[in-house]
Amino acid sequence: MVMRIQGLKYDENNWIHRQVRLAAITVVAIAAFVAAWHVASVLADTPTVPSPGRTLDALINFYSYGDWSSGTQRTMFELIGSSMITFAKGFALALVVAVPLGLALGYFKIAREFTNPIIEVLRPIAPIAWAPIFIIILGSATGAMLVVFIGIFFPLLTNVIFGVRKIEANLLDASKTLGASQFQVFYKVIMPYTAPYLMNGVKVGLGVGWMCIVAAEMCAGTLVGVGKYLYDMAYSGNWPKAYAALVLIGVLGLLTIGVSDYVHRWVSRRMGMDA
Amino acid sequence: MTEDQTAIDVSEKAFAETVDSGSPGDGAHIAIRGLRKVFKRDKKETVALDDFSLDIRRGELVTLVGPSGCGKTTILKLIAGLIEPTSGEVLIGGRPCLRPGPDRGMVFQDFALFHWRSVRKNVEFGLEVAGVPRGDRRAEAERYIKLVGLEKFIDSRVYELSGGMKQRVGIARSLVTHPDVLLMDEPFGSLDAQTRNIMQVQLLKVLDETDQTIVFVTHSVDEAVFLSDRIIVLTKRPARIKEVIEVPWPKPRDRAAPEFTALRKRILSELEAENVMEG
Repeated sequence: MVMRIQGLKYDENNWIHRQVRLAAITVVAIAAFVAAWHVASVLADTPTVPSPGRTLDALINFYSYGDWSSGTQRTMFELIGSSMITFAKGFALALVVAVPLGLALGYFKIAREFTNPIIEVLRPIAPIAWAPIFIIILGSATGAMLVVFIGIFFPLLTNVIFGVRKIEANLLDASKTLGASQFQVFYKVIMPYTAPYLMNGVKVGLGVGWMCIVAAEMCAGTLVGVGKYLYDMAYSGNWPKAYAALVLIGVLGLLTIGVSDYVHRWVSRRMGMDA
Repeated sequence: MTEDQTAIDVSEKAFAETVDSGSPGDGAHIAIRGLRKVFKRDKKETVALDDFSLDIRRGELVTLVGPSGCGKTTILKLIAGLIEPTSGEVLIGGRPCLRPGPDRGMVFQDFALFHWRSVRKNVEFGLEVAGVPRGDRRAEAERYIKLVGLEKFIDSRVYELSGGMKQRVGIARSLVTHPDVLLMDEPFGSLDAQTRNIMQVQLLKVLDETDQTIVFVTHSVDEAVFLSDRIIVLTKRPARIKEVIEVPWPKPRDRAAPEFTALRKRILSELEAENVMEG
């Protein structure tokens, strides 16, 4: 597409203009970061800080030949897939436990009062602090999955409880005067009302969970995945590959959060909230 | 046992007093007898309502006007069964109302619509929870959506609607279960003056077709005079009846007519005596 630069003026009210502007700023920002990284690696002049160019080479090498470090060859996508599966299992378990529990704790005051001290003590514990315990007792795969579970569980739980408690009294009154039973009030009014809050919990939880899986893999002896790969490469002094794994982890995390952010906004709109 | 005893005592006392005030009590569609409501929190007691009795005829539109915070909403919530009276009772067709139910519909100032549902699904709600088959409830909901003039917006989401349209959904939603009485809690209070007048005229049109009994709470004396068959002027808290005004004029009424403005002035000055400045 040929653009006539002369006479082209930025128009805040034009969608294309806003998108082009944002894209341009993003590209410049990334370029500035890569340049700074390059300068830092030149100044540091040590193998522990490889240049962006060497890191990219390592990433391409990883993509082309996979990982040989464990003796058997695994492709990059096998490693990503392995991390993703542990992640998905932990996420699914968190959903299954936190959503009904959050609904119940939001709804029943006595249950909330009873569990509150327990939750408030367990919640501040960094999910990764559970890793040694879970992994030693339950093995690498289950242990790492449970670390992800913990990471996603608490944001999900607190958001669902918050959503249930936020419900406007008038909505409950309206449904009662329309003849809804207590059970109907719960699943026709309280549950849909909570959906956007649940999605917000999912969004926060996925971000935390992704950090957990990478860290948990490092503690897990026999697990394969991108986090484990990062650990192995750094341990064996293969710095460009370690940095390549870092970049990969960042991009995958960005994708995960991007998707959940999109779903969150879609659900909020669908449910008629901050639309 | 003792509890039953006191309940009977209270209702007898209330009955005696309604007879005293000259109301027959028997033919009434809705009979409110000696309602008292005390809110208690720790050591603080607030008497919101004391010995409140009122008979409402079938098809009548009764408005409650009174100083803000005088307990008008409490009266509606008591009739709806959303809160329990400290003593006294509400009878509809002779039966006491203890719990909320679809025989007493309610319209809220802030609309209280289910914002995740479409217009159609909001109106269907009362039929849905009653287990009415899908086809029947669709047809019935459509009828009431047409009645309030929202047929073009039937599949819209409620956040896409203006305030006046939202309240029309609220009215259709509460009418669809054919309630014995419609309780309207400042239903047009959050709308601008122009929309408010349009909604009042619209409500009268809906009433032409449904002959609905309505208890209407409002801050606006103008609104009360425009809509009411009977206006109940309340005192400040605890709410008691200060005056009952029958308004026999045909509807729709001319707001500029001398008798309209005269009545408005009279009620306003009465409320001012109870220290309120709205109109």
